[in-house]
Amino acid sequence: MYSVHDKLKEKISGLSLTLQEKYEVVLSLDKETLREFIEEEIGKIKTLEKLSKSHLEACQKKGGIVGVDGSNNRVGGAHPHFVEAYQALAKSTIYKDEPLFLADIYTPLAEGESLNSPIEKKEDLEEIEDKKNIKLSTIEVEAAIEAVERFKPYAILMDGGLIRYNIYAKAKWEELRTICEEKDIILVGVIKDIKTSIIGDRLREKYEAIDASFYDRELLFGKLQYGEMIIINEMVNKKGIEGYSSGFIRSSLAPTVIGIDILDSQKTSIEEMARLILTLTPQTSRGIPLWLDMVDKEVKISDAIMKGLMERYMDRGLYERFFISERDKRD
Amino acid sequence: MKVVGITTQQEVFVGSKDRNFRINEFLIIEDPYQDDLIGEVVEAQTFNRYIPLNIYGDMVDASVIESLKSLGYNIDEDTIYISKVRLLNEALYPVQTGSDIRLPKFSEVKEIMIQSTREEGLVLGVIRNTDDMALDMDEEFKDILYTFEERGLVPQKEIPYIMDLRSQHHYPHIGVFGGSGSGKSFGLRVILEELMNQNIPTIVLDPHFEMDFSETPDYLKEKKDFNDSFKCLQVGVHIGVKFEDLKSGDLKNLLDASSHLTDSMNNVVDILFKPRDSYISFADRLRMLTEAQEEGNIEKIENRIISSGDAEEKKAWEKRKELFLNYDKTCPYNSVRGILWRLKRLENEGIFSKDIKEIEIGLQDGKLMVLQGNTRILQVFSTYLLNNLYHKRREYKDAIYKKIAAEYFPPFIIVTDEAHNFAPKGYDSPSKSILKEISQEGRKYGVFLILATQRPTLLDETITAQLNTKFIFRTVRASDIKTIQEETDLTVEETRRLPYLRTGDVFISSATLGRTVYGRIRAALTTSPHTLNPFDELKLKTKQKDDGLFNDIKEKLPINEGDLLDTAMELERDTGITYTIQSLEEKLNQMVQKGYIEKEDTIFGYRYKNK
Repeated sequence: MYSVHDKLKEKISGLSLTLQEKYEVVLSLDKETLREFIEEEIGKIKTLEKLSKSHLEACQKKGGIVGVDGSNNRVGGAHPHFVEAYQALAKSTIYKDEPLFLADIYTPLAEGESLNSPIEKKEDLEEIEDKKNIKLSTIEVEAAIEAVERFKPYAILMDGGLIRYNIYAKAKWEELRTICEEKDIILVGVIKDIKTSIIGDRLREKYEAIDASFYDRELLFGKLQYGEMIIINEMVNKKGIEGYSSGFIRSSLAPTVIGIDILDSQKTSIEEMARLILTLTPQTSRGIPLWLDMVDKEVKISDAIMKGLMERYMDRGLYERFFISERDKRD
Repeated sequence: MKVVGITTQQEVFVGSKDRNFRINEFLIIEDPYQDDLIGEVVEAQTFNRYIPLNIYGDMVDASVIESLKSLGYNIDEDTIYISKVRLLNEALYPVQTGSDIRLPKFSEVKEIMIQSTREEGLVLGVIRNTDDMALDMDEEFKDILYTFEERGLVPQKEIPYIMDLRSQHHYPHIGVFGGSGSGKSFGLRVILEELMNQNIPTIVLDPHFEMDFSETPDYLKEKKDFNDSFKCLQVGVHIGVKFEDLKSGDLKNLLDASSHLTDSMNNVVDILFKPRDSYISFADRLRMLTEAQEEGNIEKIENRIISSGDAEEKKAWEKRKELFLNYDKTCPYNSVRGILWRLKRLENEGIFSKDIKEIEIGLQDGKLMVLQGNTRILQVFSTYLLNNLYHKRREYKDAIYKKIAAEYFPPFIIVTDEAHNFAPKGYDSPSKSILKEISQEGRKYGVFLILATQRPTLLDETITAQLNTKFIFRTVRASDIKTIQEETDLTVEETRRLPYLRTGDVFISSATLGRTVYGRIRAALTTSPHTLNPFDELKLKTKQKDDGLFNDIKEKLPINEGDLLDTAMELERDTGITYTIQSLEEKLNQMVQKGYIEKEDTIFGYRYKNK
């Protein structure tokens, strides 16, 4: 048996109770009522059909699908003694033997700036966090750009929402966006963990009784049928400002929903892309298209690989001095 | 194909994107830092990193894979093939990862595959999974045999397995193991056919009456006639023991094989058996002694002598008295009775009515002598026979060594199925001691053993240890697999395959080669007399009987109800078979049921008529 301290048990049952109280409104919300609300205020709920074989073959003739994903891993201890590696992969369903990899690394040590101020400020941390996001987003977008040129695909599925590229890799992203629009390549973001609160915010606006903001993830849990999709009206979509159209899809039997972003200029294709995602997602999975899962698996930098790389290609003395933490030596 | 992963001096992993590996095939590793290395595939696997059931716990369903195919991505193409290759000889250094791999040419593997020429060796079958190397094989090894597969007779595509007979001199004995239906008896048959081809003097102990080589199977176009090369002899009918030649030790063995002898009985034989005794003289002595002992004391016997009617009887009783006086003290009545009973049992089985001359002549002629009888009789007889022949051969060799003249006796091979009955583990049996002796020193005298059994676990361990070459067919029993694992150089992977071997597939663990060959026994040129399915046989016999009856009555049809008695009498006259009206009617009704004739109702009652 595990020995668990009573205090911790209390804390957790306390949390359960708090959530129960806070979300009473949401949890007690009738499924039909919420669906009506969504239909009226957010967007139409549509039932999607999977793409037919001939449709898929047509996509293949037009260049197939490219999946883009990135991954990062970190060795070392606390700031600034760590190295983070980034890797992006663009993989076409047609040119399966030509995976397109890009990589980058980051360590505060090499930047030189934080060296003088060992005490970390909050802004410093955020700045570092930003740097990481910038590096990762940039190589992902670069990989996508290269993929466009090399594979000339029908559509590109990016892993994650598109909005973050606006934030972290603006210039490159604009470049990609322009090329895609020019060449008529559909650019889509598939969001595993939706973080928006579009429905919640709308609920709050409409009903005074609701004083807290709820996330879409919480609200939509179990509310859509398998294969159903909500295309969010432009009016309520906050991403609209950045030039995207969005939707939610329940793409598998798991009760959670996933999100989809598409360029505004290509919004007529959002339904087709949603159907593509539905087609490529195993029914009993967590809801992610298999192709993106495969790309994700291939791009992943495992701890073993990271460690192996460091040991193989880095001077052992430097490696020990800078990047081996006490924690690493525990086992 | 390349070497991948961590390598050692003994084993490497080989990966390929397009060629699937087969177990037991040979590969050449072109290591840039040492000479080409040759290895054997011991494990073969395929792997698809996307299909191994799931990615992050998600089951991938077929429709998604199908959709991806439509999009131009075929998941099967991401399958890779991996094999574990064991080097035949240890390398000097661990093999360089990344080394290229290629298939060997025949010339590169000839030495390790072919042990002997076709003329001098035993052509027993093929080495499995060698068809790639067999393409440029020397002509003399091509098309020399057929194998028998599910679809029938198949021409040879692989390298033949030719067992080197001459190496028997160093590695003399052979074991043939396998469960029932594994192809063991059939493998033994092929070995014996080859021994006949080579005119090797051979004795086969055949408790199943199956080692007859006169019938050829239907599937063969060219028939081979072995009739001059072998002879089936039944113990007690064609061959037996010449009582006059027996020494007291032989006799004790025989009696013991008949039924276990007590110490006291052994003693009785020592005392009562005289050299040059005939069966009659020995049996008489025993009988008269028991009769005297039955009288109880010397006075009663003397009374018998006095009261006997004629001189003959008197003389007989005087003889009994003499025996009684000489032996009563040393030979207890019960022991004498026991010996007499055992002796009679052997006599009734016909063991003493013939001799072994015919076997000796056959061996001198280089023939295969098949001795048939039930297991117990064979045990009894083989004990005597093998002792006798082995010592003949031994005397000859010893005489040569001592430089004195002696009659030539050839080297020979002893073959037996169900060997665990002849040399059981854990308890003594008369045939075991001679087999053990031969297993240990037969090599010196050129006497070799081929022992087949489905229960290697029950075979005497000393003997098992002396079996240098082992043919291992499908084995399912865990205890036998364990024994095989202990007694052979089969790897763990190979023993794991044992329960799943196809009939006729065999692991040959050979001391000459120092490794295990995975082979398939060739199609036999002859067939066992027991191949007719008993249910087919039953059907056939019933039909023969029915046809016979129909023939007999055919002329007499139609038979009216009232004519049954007449018909029965006619049948008795024609065929000598007696029917009652009732039994005839029963038979006729059966014929109706089987559709030979019809039964119809008429105004005069019913009648049987032709269809």
